[in-house]
Amino acid sequence: MSTKYPTYLLDRAKIEGAHTLAVAQKHGAWEALRKILKDGIGFAQVIQLVKDSGLRGRGGAGFPTGMKWSFMPDPVKDPRPRYVAINADESEPGTCKDRVIMELDPHGFLEGALIAAYAMRAQVVYVYVRGEYRLPYKRVADAVAEARKAGLIGKNILGSDFSCEVYMHQGAGAYICGEETGLMESLEGKRGHPRPKPPFPAMFGLWGQPTTVNNVETVFNAPFIVLRGAEWFKSMGTKGSTGNLLVGVSGHVNKPGVYELPFGVSCREILEDVCGGMWKHKQLKSFFPGGSSTGVLPASLIDTPMEHDAIKNTGSMLGTAAMIVMDEDTCMVRAHEIVARFYEHESCGQCSQCREGTQWLHQIFQRIEHGHGRLEDIDMLVTLSKGMAPGKTICALSDAAAIPTLAVIKHFRGEFEEHVKLARCPFLPAGTQRPVFAGAH
Amino acid sequence: MTKIILNGREVDVDPKQPLIHACHAHGADVPMYCYHPGLTPVGSCRICQVEVKQGEAPARVVVACRTPVAEGMIVETEAPRAHETRRECLEFLLKNHPLDCPICDKAGECDLQDYAFAEGQGEGRSNEPRRKLDKRKSLGEVIVLDEERCILCSRCVRFMEEIPKTPQLTIADLGSRSTISTFMDQPLRGNYQGNLADVCPVGALTLKQFRFQARVWNLKKSLSTCGECSRGCAISVEVLRNKDVKRFRPRYDPAVNQWWMCDSGRFSSARHNAEERLAPAARRGAQGLEICSVDEALAQAADTLRARANAVCIGSPFLTLEEAKAFAALCGTLGAKPAFVSPPATALKDELLNTGDPCPNRRGLLELGFEALEPAEAFARLAAAAVGVLAGERVIELQGRGELAALEGPRLICFDTHGLEGAGADVCVGIPEQVEKSGSWVNLDGHVGKLTIARAAPAGVEPLTRTLASLASLLATSGVAR
Amino acid sequence: MALPARLVTEFTELLTHYPHKQAALIPALHRCQEELGGWISPQTMQDVATFLGLEPVEVYGVASFYPMFRLRPPGKHVVSVCHNISCALRGADEVLQQVCQITGAQPHGNSPDGRFTVNTVECQGACANAPMFDLDGVYHEDLTAEKVAKILGSVK
Repeated sequence: MSTKYPTYLLDRAKIEGAHTLAVAQKHGAWEALRKILKDGIGFAQVIQLVKDSGLRGRGGAGFPTGMKWSFMPDPVKDPRPRYVAINADESEPGTCKDRVIMELDPHGFLEGALIAAYAMRAQVVYVYVRGEYRLPYKRVADAVAEARKAGLIGKNILGSDFSCEVYMHQGAGAYICGEETGLMESLEGKRGHPRPKPPFPAMFGLWGQPTTVNNVETVFNAPFIVLRGAEWFKSMGTKGSTGNLLVGVSGHVNKPGVYELPFGVSCREILEDVCGGMWKHKQLKSFFPGGSSTGVLPASLIDTPMEHDAIKNTGSMLGTAAMIVMDEDTCMVRAHEIVARFYEHESCGQCSQCREGTQWLHQIFQRIEHGHGRLEDIDMLVTLSKGMAPGKTICALSDAAAIPTLAVIKHFRGEFEEHVKLARCPFLPAGTQRPVFAGAH
Repeated sequence: MTKIILNGREVDVDPKQPLIHACHAHGADVPMYCYHPGLTPVGSCRICQVEVKQGEAPARVVVACRTPVAEGMIVETEAPRAHETRRECLEFLLKNHPLDCPICDKAGECDLQDYAFAEGQGEGRSNEPRRKLDKRKSLGEVIVLDEERCILCSRCVRFMEEIPKTPQLTIADLGSRSTISTFMDQPLRGNYQGNLADVCPVGALTLKQFRFQARVWNLKKSLSTCGECSRGCAISVEVLRNKDVKRFRPRYDPAVNQWWMCDSGRFSSARHNAEERLAPAARRGAQGLEICSVDEALAQAADTLRARANAVCIGSPFLTLEEAKAFAALCGTLGAKPAFVSPPATALKDELLNTGDPCPNRRGLLELGFEALEPAEAFARLAAAAVGVLAGERVIELQGRGELAALEGPRLICFDTHGLEGAGADVCVGIPEQVEKSGSWVNLDGHVGKLTIARAAPAGVEPLTRTLASLASLLATSGVAR
Repeated sequence: MALPARLVTEFTELLTHYPHKQAALIPALHRCQEELGGWISPQTMQDVATFLGLEPVEVYGVASFYPMFRLRPPGKHVVSVCHNISCALRGADEVLQQVCQITGAQPHGNSPDGRFTVNTVECQGACANAPMFDLDGVYHEDLTAEKVAKILGSVK
């Protein structure tokens, strides 16, 4: 692990027992909230501080967090109950960073959630954890219990006027519940069908009331910003992407893992220095910079800095900074058959383009991979993707299926053509077949 | 009202309704599947694409059903981008939708078929197998579901939740595996199931009653009013080849029934396909009741009425205002008080449409001075009379055919769709049924519901207004016993 | 039939977390699945519906949406193998084949002896420690053929 960059995110997480209140507090957890309440830092100041820091959402969309918090209405004019919902649904393929925070530093995370609630003058925080994350759920739930006992959660926190409850809530295996309005539908006890926007959650959220949904890692940054200031935060990362982030690297590297790095480190440095390079002495072929929804980049773009604008300029996206690395022996068609299968499986089914399109894309990828493709299928994949995105559906899952399809054909059309010409996958030994399993559920 | 510019024209639109409502109100033909003006909009089918421009922002293509109208909004429903997005959406919908048109009841009134014909690309480009699902899943006594045809618009789910307010349907599973389902395949309950076939934009939910019965373009459609209760829902009577009434369907009437009708009303259409009808008339002769012409029947009826005093006149609750006036005039000639049989309230009364009052024209008849008589009371009066005149469809049935047939005292003159055999039956004149007459009924709120002729009455049968008037005029010319 | 008293007590407390009862549905269904046979039966759906003041069909619509809820009785042990991209790149196909071979179950099915259900699942958030499976709610990561054999072999 490279030590040449200043760190803060995982410093406490690495300490044994840091998931307990005693150890966490010894290493700075809850100091920021104490400071806010003791020094009487107003909610508006906290929002301004977060705005000034340049913190952007870490859930995939990268929306400026301070601005998002400022969308909540004035409770004097709009006295309806208001909520903060933490999105711990973490289901973007390649992404495994929020669980690290929840498992190893749940108190730091809770503190961040409470600071968000304070800034937005909310009285209730729901932590929506994906159903499969049993250990992260338990660690956070235990931390909530400890914090409540210590007067850090509940009525009149630390003797102040600020009261805030924290409730744990489970998802049940649907990726679409990581979409903020799908999450709210799910939290309300319904099918996770995303809602059309407008109206936006700040005006019409949980049960129609003002709500802000934030990612785990996003709020996790808040205590550090409060304690160390906006200027400190901006000293890390790049102008448009400030601070450090947790980069998750998976696939064909020697040292896959979750690593704390400043924005702006090149993907090459991540691959070679941080992750020990390609496994088995293989060559890099391609990589997803930020999860399967972002679309592959070819090896030639490995020097791209891991930060929002730079990756956007390549035609991909930072997403969740979940870098998935693929070596020279990886079949791009097969890889995207898996990705297409995922979106077909996860589509909620509301929008015609997504429900039918995700299946159609998957079927075509399957046929090409299994040697039954035609040349016109490749163009059909492009045509369908253009019909599915951008912005034609209630939520961006349709875009998430379309974008990687367009990217892989843009960068690796030749592989598709070879599958068609040979009537089989050239990466499989001749005479062998891929096992075909139907999707889960 | 809000001013928007719709396809180059400035129009005033209702600010409480989504943009698609404004488009339709002003003749802009924007397609829709999941949107229904009577249900909460969800914006899921994505077909209702239009181009809107507001202020300085660039024009964008949006779904009209989830777009609020705003002052000065510029809307182009025919913009090329809007059409292209709709065409793409349609192609996705047709990817799995089976080519069932040749055998599908919905053909001819199918929103998907209509739009595919109007703007579809003519040839499918999918080389993938379509989903294979249950094509005839019974959802109870009324509805059959074809899962393959379903386009997951969720109108049926929302209908059950929002209109009769009995959630009974859900989307099960998700994504490409979605189907519409009841709980554990339980049958649907309630008196509003038939509306599901109307709200379904395609042939996924269809009526068992109508399955394979007719092609809708062969149906002659006439506007009318339902007669099953005093709500008087606006309906369309749909007749095949001037013979069978194949179905009743609700017509939109914001003052009475919105878009809906209950199943009791809807399926009362079957009542009008009875084979045997009295046509044109019958009179008692030496050998019993003999078929005769209307004039012959009326002549004998006039003789009978002249010969006996104390006529009792009992009308059917199905008399139209026009028929009732003619009947009242006859009553006046006879010195009798006009009355109608008022059958007891039914158990069908609900919070939605069905009033539980089986008299479609109670208010109209009462306002004309008719007396409402319970069947037993009406029967008692008839039994004590020297001569009874019964007029209007089903009046014999409502008094009890067997009981009337057993009456020995009074001479009975009946104007009904079927004749009466029995000791006292003197004259029977055939009359048009509800679907064979034009006229008006007044519903419980005072709303006037119109009936129009949906099919011809059997040969020789004349409108009741005319036969009653003829009888009255026969009596007037020659005097009548009082 | 009704929910067992211990669940009613639990769910009554759960209701206090939300302003509307329906919000307790998914956590309640999880607990029912854990406590009542490892699946959500029609009876369970009806009982939960009654408790929350919902229609059974609404509960069914929710239960059938979420992949974690089983609507058929499972085997004694449930093995969920991730076959999404990061795991596939690190040998998920081989893991799945091995799991099926050892357990005797095919994906989405139960083994003939009823000991196992094998599922394939989408990304479980263990990408940096791929390949993985979830056995009875516990993640087993960085799998090798040996580890798979050992873990499944020690299951009772």
